[in-house]
Amino acid sequence: MNPMKRTDPVVFVIDDDASVRTALKSLIRSVGLDVEAFASGQEFLQFARPDVPGCLVLDVRLPGMSGLDFQKELTKSEIHLPVIFITAHGDIPMSVRAMKAGAVEFLTKPFRDQDLLDAIQLSLDRDRMRRQQDSEVSELKDRFETLTSRERELLALVISGRPNKQIADAIGTSEVTVKVHRANLTRKMQAESLADLVRMAGKLNISPKS
Amino acid sequence: MATVLVAIALGLSLLLHPYVSDAFIVFFLAAVMTVGWFGRSGPGLYSVALSTVAVDYYFILPHHDFSMNLEEVPYFLSFLLTAGCASWLASARKQAEEKQRVHFDKLFDQAPEAIMLVDSRDQVQRINDEFSRIFGYTSNEIVSGISLSFIVPPHLHDEAMAARKRLSQGESVSMETVRMRRNGSFVHVSEIAVPVSIDGERVSYYHIFRDITEDRRAAESLQRAHAELVHLSRVTTIGELVTSIAHEVNQPIAAIVTNGNAAGRWLAQHPPNLNEARDALGNIVRDAARAGDVIGRIRTLVQKGTPQLIPLDINEVIRGVLSLLDSEIRNSGVRVKTDLAELPDAIGDKVQLQQVMLNLILNAIDAMSATCRIPNILRIRSTRESGRIRVEVHDTGIGFTSGHADQMFDAFFTTKPEGIGMGLTISRSIIDAHGGHLWARPGDGGGATMNFTLPIADETADESNEAN
Repeated sequence: MNPMKRTDPVVFVIDDDASVRTALKSLIRSVGLDVEAFASGQEFLQFARPDVPGCLVLDVRLPGMSGLDFQKELTKSEIHLPVIFITAHGDIPMSVRAMKAGAVEFLTKPFRDQDLLDAIQLSLDRDRMRRQQDSEVSELKDRFETLTSRERELLALVISGRPNKQIADAIGTSEVTVKVHRANLTRKMQAESLADLVRMAGKLNISPKS
Repeated sequence: MATVLVAIALGLSLLLHPYVSDAFIVFFLAAVMTVGWFGRSGPGLYSVALSTVAVDYYFILPHHDFSMNLEEVPYFLSFLLTAGCASWLASARKQAEEKQRVHFDKLFDQAPEAIMLVDSRDQVQRINDEFSRIFGYTSNEIVSGISLSFIVPPHLHDEAMAARKRLSQGESVSMETVRMRRNGSFVHVSEIAVPVSIDGERVSYYHIFRDITEDRRAAESLQRAHAELVHLSRVTTIGELVTSIAHEVNQPIAAIVTNGNAAGRWLAQHPPNLNEARDALGNIVRDAARAGDVIGRIRTLVQKGTPQLIPLDINEVIRGVLSLLDSEIRNSGVRVKTDLAELPDAIGDKVQLQQVMLNLILNAIDAMSATCRIPNILRIRSTRESGRIRVEVHDTGIGFTSGHADQMFDAFFTTKPEGIGMGLTISRSIIDAHGGHLWARPGDGGGATMNFTLPIADETADESNEAN
């Protein structure tokens, strides 16, 4: 199966212990989730990840690099998968560090299966939401790319809520021209109202110009 | 004095002159030398001049006149020369001796060791500066006093008397002991005492002391540090072992639990997924076998550590551990009584047997420090019984209930707040590996007795010994 055609979420497991890996795969598959398991962080990074929602079940003790360091590495590489830590003997400072760095859950082996599955479900929901937001933003960016430079200039002025007359004065043109540009702009951005346009500008990090 | 002596010489010379004509020379030279000896060069020269004048006046012709006949001049000059030489020799000799005496005094006073010179009646004759510094007595306070009464602490009087007896028999004595300062405090010293004899008669004794309090303190703290280190390494080795066992065994256990859960979920599906469930169960069996392997590996590891089995003297092991724990024993206020029989060599690993003894003794001390009984006695006995060596460690501590007699050898069983419950477990496995046996029984009259046996190194030698 070509991974690129997947749409179902995937759970990634990284644990250097083969028995633990096999057991986790079986457990996760038993609740109907896809799972990919790796013995090291390197193996995971080399894997061509499908573009689907996912999460990472990560052993704190990994050969070569600790799970906590690997978590940092992921953030640096712009991989935003939610992380669930599992450890043979977790201490409190270690779990605090992991949670501060954004881990969803920190479980000590042997853990209750329901705890792990709940954490996986929560992580996948989060990732789904994040991906949705990301795709919305990227679509808005695509639309924004189609604007002319005049239209982009106008957008910042429009979302400040100023009437067309004032905008025309500000950019030194006629009110009619502003109206034409504004209609084009709204159409290109697929906005239904001024309020819609303001929300889109917010997501694109465009601040109103007064 | 010079004048008087010369006058006496003159009187005697005049008295004898009619009988022996040259007797005056002897008397005057004696006078000149005596003056030179006691009065040194100044009065010596004065007496020479005075004698010369007297000799010229009374004994050189013409008599009773300061002038002299020409033929008498060589005679007179030779007298003058002789007198001068005699005076000079006497004063120079005296001076040299004086110098030597001052030198010796300095040597005595400034010697880096404390010195006390005692006469044959035990009266202090002399002490030096270092002695004053160490003991706090000035010369005036101690000289002519009885030496023993000043610096020997009352409880060591017998020891000092024994040393004194050996001294009077002409032996020199060297010992490390405790002496008392003027203010009553004690000082550890190394003392050397030597008798000084003149013509076979013992006239005095030199006592030389060196303050070794600092050395002693350093040695004690070194020993304490060593014992602590041994104790600590015992605890951390066991701690590390437990941690690594825990980690090694925890992985397969985590896998077993997860596989079990997965199998349950596969079976709960509609319809149940029997293939997946079977796989998961197979994994459980495999992981459980792996956990068993880990335990087995650790066991062989421990057994591999055993084999330095050589003939050794178990009493030596016991004494070694006791000296290692010397400061711990003293700090705990426990009294140690040993009853070590004359034994043939046992066969064993010295370090491991030390570890067993260390465990048993530390346990005994711990058990006794929990009671307020005074005195707490640790009794260690070694005996030979039916071809084996048996060691007993008896304490008067809190003891144990009969239910604990076997339980106490289980891993992680402990009654101590900081204990991890591995000491006796490890001790028993060591003794087992030696072909011996370790067991506990309640002590007669409270406390506990730990016993272990060890095989004798050479059974045939043992039998022949018994035949003898």
